[in-house]
Amino acid sequence: MSAVQTEPATLSEEPPVSLWRDAWYRLKRNRLAIFGLCVIVLLAFTAIFGPYLTPYDFLGQDLEARNQAPSFAHLFGTDDLGRDVFSRVVYGTRTAFLVAVVVTAIALVIGTVLGAVAGFFGNPFDRVIMWLTDVTMSVPNLLLVVVINASLKTPIAQWMEARYLETLNPFYRETVWIDFLLVFGSMALISWPPYARLVRAQVLSIRSRPYITAAQALGLSNRIILTRYVIPNALGPLIVAVSAGLGTAMVLESAFSFLGVGVNPPTPSWGNMISDGLRVWQHYPHLLAAPAAVLGLASVAFSFLGDGLNDALNPRGSK
Amino acid sequence: MTGTKTENRLLDVKGLTVEIETRSGPAVIVDGIDLHVDRGETLGVVGESGCGKSLTMLSLMRLLPNKIHVAKGEAHFDGRDLQKMSNRELRKVRGGDIGFVFQDPMTSLNPVMRIGEQLAEPLIYHRGMSKKEARARAVELLRLVGIPGPEQRIEAYPHELSGGMRQRVMIAIGLACEPKLLIADEPTTALDVTIQAQIVDLVKGLREKLGMSVVWITHDLALIAGLVDRVIVLYAGTVVEDAPVDELYAHPRHPYTRGLLASIPKLSDQPASRLNSIGGTPPEPGRRPQGCPFAPRCPLAMDICRTHVPKLEPVAAAGSHRTACFAAEKAREAA
Ligand SMILES: Nc1ncnc2c1ncn2[C@@H]1O[C@H](COP(=O)(O)OP(=O)(O)O)[C@@H](O)[C@H]1O
Ligand code: SF4
Ligand SMILES: [Mg+2]
Repeated sequence: MSAVQTEPATLSEEPPVSLWRDAWYRLKRNRLAIFGLCVIVLLAFTAIFGPYLTPYDFLGQDLEARNQAPSFAHLFGTDDLGRDVFSRVVYGTRTAFLVAVVVTAIALVIGTVLGAVAGFFGNPFDRVIMWLTDVTMSVPNLLLVVVINASLKTPIAQWMEARYLETLNPFYRETVWIDFLLVFGSMALISWPPYARLVRAQVLSIRSRPYITAAQALGLSNRIILTRYVIPNALGPLIVAVSAGLGTAMVLESAFSFLGVGVNPPTPSWGNMISDGLRVWQHYPHLLAAPAAVLGLASVAFSFLGDGLNDALNPRGSK
Repeated sequence: MTGTKTENRLLDVKGLTVEIETRSGPAVIVDGIDLHVDRGETLGVVGESGCGKSLTMLSLMRLLPNKIHVAKGEAHFDGRDLQKMSNRELRKVRGGDIGFVFQDPMTSLNPVMRIGEQLAEPLIYHRGMSKKEARARAVELLRLVGIPGPEQRIEAYPHELSGGMRQRVMIAIGLACEPKLLIADEPTTALDVTIQAQIVDLVKGLREKLGMSVVWITHDLALIAGLVDRVIVLYAGTVVEDAPVDELYAHPRHPYTRGLLASIPKLSDQPASRLNSIGGTPPEPGRRPQGCPFAPRCPLAMDICRTHVPKLEPVAAAGSHRTACFAAEKAREAA
């Protein structure tokens, strides 16, 4: 009985114990993914602590020092009101992360619940939910966001004004919350369908995979089959989707802010900074370059990490 | 070898009927099959694809897919009715007393789990082994099925192994708890011809070493000639012939069996010419003809075949050879 071997097994030098350790091990060997991860960690740190550490207030105007080129005093220079661009970019990072995390979390919850219900319980839930998904996906994102902005902004503002007059609570004076509320709501509304589709497809396909029948034929309990066979196989693609989704949400926030239907000045967002910078870029290119470069870097970082996670979590697809 | 005493019966299936729910009501897929496997016996189950071989075996273990269920019948394993067992008891039988090897080794292993863990799972569950014991046993099992370097190989993921190696792993998993019965559902269909013979040899050796019974499902009569003791031929969810393997090859009685035997490819044949000697395809579930299910394709079909269903009956003067055909005698003369 001779054993024929067509593919040599590639074995790691120090075998890790679990799927997750193993995925981490593979991720570590992927330079681009690690670069992406480092950038993301740095940006996340900036988003959380950055605004407390910057030398200038992001709103602080210094009319003596307007439109300055980058220097040691102002790393990214100053804008037309003499505000420190570096501090504003740092605060824009907070805006970007806040929006991306909140929107992705909402979209993930909605998408996972709807997708799992559709995949697990089948019709009629499946039909209704998939119809909802298709309809949502077929509406142009920008159109939807513009409509939401146009139709809801004024009523919400009026309601807040009324609340303020009633309670005199300064919270209701802070119109910046309206921006965020609308951004969170509208972006979550357009972001959940991919998660719903993914989760539904995962549940459907894993449930009928031969290895699930094989596990049942081994007499394994439903609990073990769920935790060791179904979930680990479903989680990989979902984690990859979340990583990509965070990047997409960040770009989307910038795009909407750029177009004036997202976060509005004076709250800094990379998008509205790019919009401002674009008007004067021939004279003061740093005003455009600084936020654009950071946005580009963040976008690339999430995409590298997403690809790396995809390879690390799917040992079948990796080389 | 083919003893008939009841205490020698390991598996005894009577009148097993499997139905699928369709829009136009239930349709029969497996139609009242009787079959049995004795201790230490190897049974070959043969038939074209779509004849209900897999569903028959899956129904024994109550592993049928959605919308397909056992409508009636009994399946006694080791004296107990598998259809009446509680889920808990059944889980002990699955993997513990009956091992299963599936057709496609590429998709029947969990892609995100190391093969060592997949081997250890039934040992921990059925034999109460610790992780460490199970791991040591996993190495032993891999060695048993002829996988080189088993100590390293238990760390591998399924995708890191070739198809033949994966099927060996599947067999090792099926054998992990030393079952009394191993059911192999077309275990070599997805493999190269040279590897197919190796897997057959492997199971042959293991069967003797472990003293277990084997049910080997295939559509390839030639492959199992040296492996099985007895063959049942399935057509459209019914047993059309049941005979000791030598008898079946020497004196096939059912026109379908004869067609299968005639279609075994010769070296000179193109692969595509397989089964060409029987025109047509098996009936879809729910579209079975009235009389003999094989009648539309049968070269010997008579009027009675289209109105009456032939029963599986012993062929005169050959005790353990049974067939379901009105023209069985003629078939013998033609042979
Ligand atoms: N999951 C399923 N859903 C619907 N029909 C099925 C399913 N599995 C098998 N069948 C039908 O049942 C019949 C028998 O299938 P199967 O037992 O897999 O045949 P075999 O193993 O002999 O190739 C086929 O006609 C097939 O179309
Ligand atoms: S019973 Fe009639 S149709 Fe059926 S196999 Fe025999 S001869 Fe052919
Ligand atoms: Mg089959």
